[in-house]
Amino acid sequence: MSAGTGCVPAMGTKLVVGTSVCKWTVSYFALAVVWLLLAEVLMVAGFGFPHTDFGGPDTLVIVHMVCVGWLSTVLSGALFQFVPVLVAKPLYAERWTLPALALLTLGLIVLLAGFLALGGHFNGSSWLLPIGAGLLVAGFALVVANLGMTLWSARPLPAPARFTAVGLACICVTAALGGTFSLVLSGTDVGALWPDLLLSGVPIHAIAGLGGWLTFTAMGVSYRLLAMFMLAPDGDAKLGRLAWRSGAAALAVAVVGGVLALWRATGLNLVLLLAGAAALLSLAGYGSDVFGLFRTRKRRALELNTRMSLLSLGNLVAAAILGAASAAAGSLQSHAGALAFLVAFGWLTGLVLANLYKIVPFLTWLETYGPVMGRAPTPRVQDLVAERRASKWFVLFFAGSWAAVFMLSIDSALGFRTAVALVTLATLGIGEELVRARRLADVAESLRLPLGATVPHLLVSRN
Amino acid sequence: MTDFIDVDVRPILRAGGEPFSIIMAALERLEPGEGLRLLAPFKPVPLFDVMASKGFAHRDAELEGGDWEILFKPRDGSLEAGEPAPVALSDDDWPEPAVRLDNRDLDPPEPMVRILASVERLAPGQTLSALLSREPVFLFRELSKRGHQWRGGFTPQRDAYQLTVKVLA
Repeated sequence: MSAGTGCVPAMGTKLVVGTSVCKWTVSYFALAVVWLLLAEVLMVAGFGFPHTDFGGPDTLVIVHMVCVGWLSTVLSGALFQFVPVLVAKPLYAERWTLPALALLTLGLIVLLAGFLALGGHFNGSSWLLPIGAGLLVAGFALVVANLGMTLWSARPLPAPARFTAVGLACICVTAALGGTFSLVLSGTDVGALWPDLLLSGVPIHAIAGLGGWLTFTAMGVSYRLLAMFMLAPDGDAKLGRLAWRSGAAALAVAVVGGVLALWRATGLNLVLLLAGAAALLSLAGYGSDVFGLFRTRKRRALELNTRMSLLSLGNLVAAAILGAASAAAGSLQSHAGALAFLVAFGWLTGLVLANLYKIVPFLTWLETYGPVMGRAPTPRVQDLVAERRASKWFVLFFAGSWAAVFMLSIDSALGFRTAVALVTLATLGIGEELVRARRLADVAESLRLPLGATVPHLLVSRN
Repeated sequence: MTDFIDVDVRPILRAGGEPFSIIMAALERLEPGEGLRLLAPFKPVPLFDVMASKGFAHRDAELEGGDWEILFKPRDGSLEAGEPAPVALSDDDWPEPAVRLDNRDLDPPEPMVRILASVERLAPGQTLSALLSREPVFLFRELSKRGHQWRGGFTPQRDAYQLTVKVLA
């Protein structure tokens, strides 16, 4: 039982203040999309893998643009808005969100400069990498502290929030390892203490980042979003339990076992095998949960964002199967690029773009029409978008991503660049749809601006 | 037969006024043995307790159009002799909901839209109750901006969220 402001709560009630639109969430989204486009343009231009070495500095530029600039930024912005909704508590410190964005952005720029210097593109200081990594660690620390304190205030956590908690722990591991790598790569005296760190540390850095922080958090969030948009009951306490337990176990084995293996220099094979098995179990649990939600849904015709989310989820399953198959065949090393692209674009980028296509119109609608709702006729959230027009961009996006994965797997560098060009075009198209939603460009003129409503700013929300 | 003095608080509530003092003033003017006939836009449950403590039994009836007629009669009179005065629960100090909504099967954010639209049509002091499939976190902010009060919580089975909103009196 809870009670609102102004009334005397009866016995056993708590005071609820509700959630508002996080002011800087759209700023996170906008900056993230810019990083995505930049990374795509560089790939089209032939920068990094497959033209250069998979682990080389140029590829690291692209990988960090996509994983930090695009995916981590967009996920942080979404979590600032979504974690309070998940746990029905206000965000711990809204005022930390803008400094965190500034630190992440600046840190990434310096880090990328460090990689470019490392690759011999210009003559930069060897301290660029550690400074960039330090700024990134500070930015992620602000994100983790803010979300962590919000979660802490809401214990015991509902299932989707538990996924986020594990994701936050994983980004700490990723950032800490990344920080140490930067010392090694910079060739400083401190880094010389761990000469072998990169070799065995990079897989853990990647697993904790892509698997723990990005994938596991996205899985947790998708439980609530899918249930909400498919009108499926998600009150069962057992929902998500298998996926969470085995996923958390997989990550714990990979991270703790990985660090131990580093320490004892025993190699990572056993650790990765155990973690991989638990991860497959987690994905199986997740898949069957989502299928259950789909089967019990009350909404028959699904909206574009839900259909595209399910499609990207199919890509995650495909990546898991292909990954397991190539690991069994001993060809994981040669397919790593194609698999990484499938995970980063087919699964994560696809899922994020599909959900941005719902979240941005919703936040815009809430900000614009919330104050006049019930007092004047207002459009529905669906009236802010044109699904038919947008769906062609999503089709192009997924087709382009699959083509890119195929081209990587047959080692066709030119084919890969052509496919990514399609993905870039689709990203631009989806970006334009988001700007149109923000500008209320598709709302019928008679409903667009009732008395008391104003067009929102493109890059910041009023709250 | 008991004589009843009419008190219609509907226009007072509609104008945003406070009817309690007017009802009490009318009570002061009653002759011994006289009763009070109250017309209200909702069932004024909290008042029953107050009136019982002053020695009045009551009988209520819903009128066409959703308004209520309540007869208050001195307890020594002949109105349903022996009927015990209803005991208000501690949580029940708000009037009975004037509107009930079942928003469980609506697409988000339609539940929020419907609640705000219905609340706009209520008179001051009236309440609305709604069943939802989840806690309406974005609605709370809008309600408090408009000065309304609310109480809510999950049902014991946790399969629905029960919300009551009281319009700013």
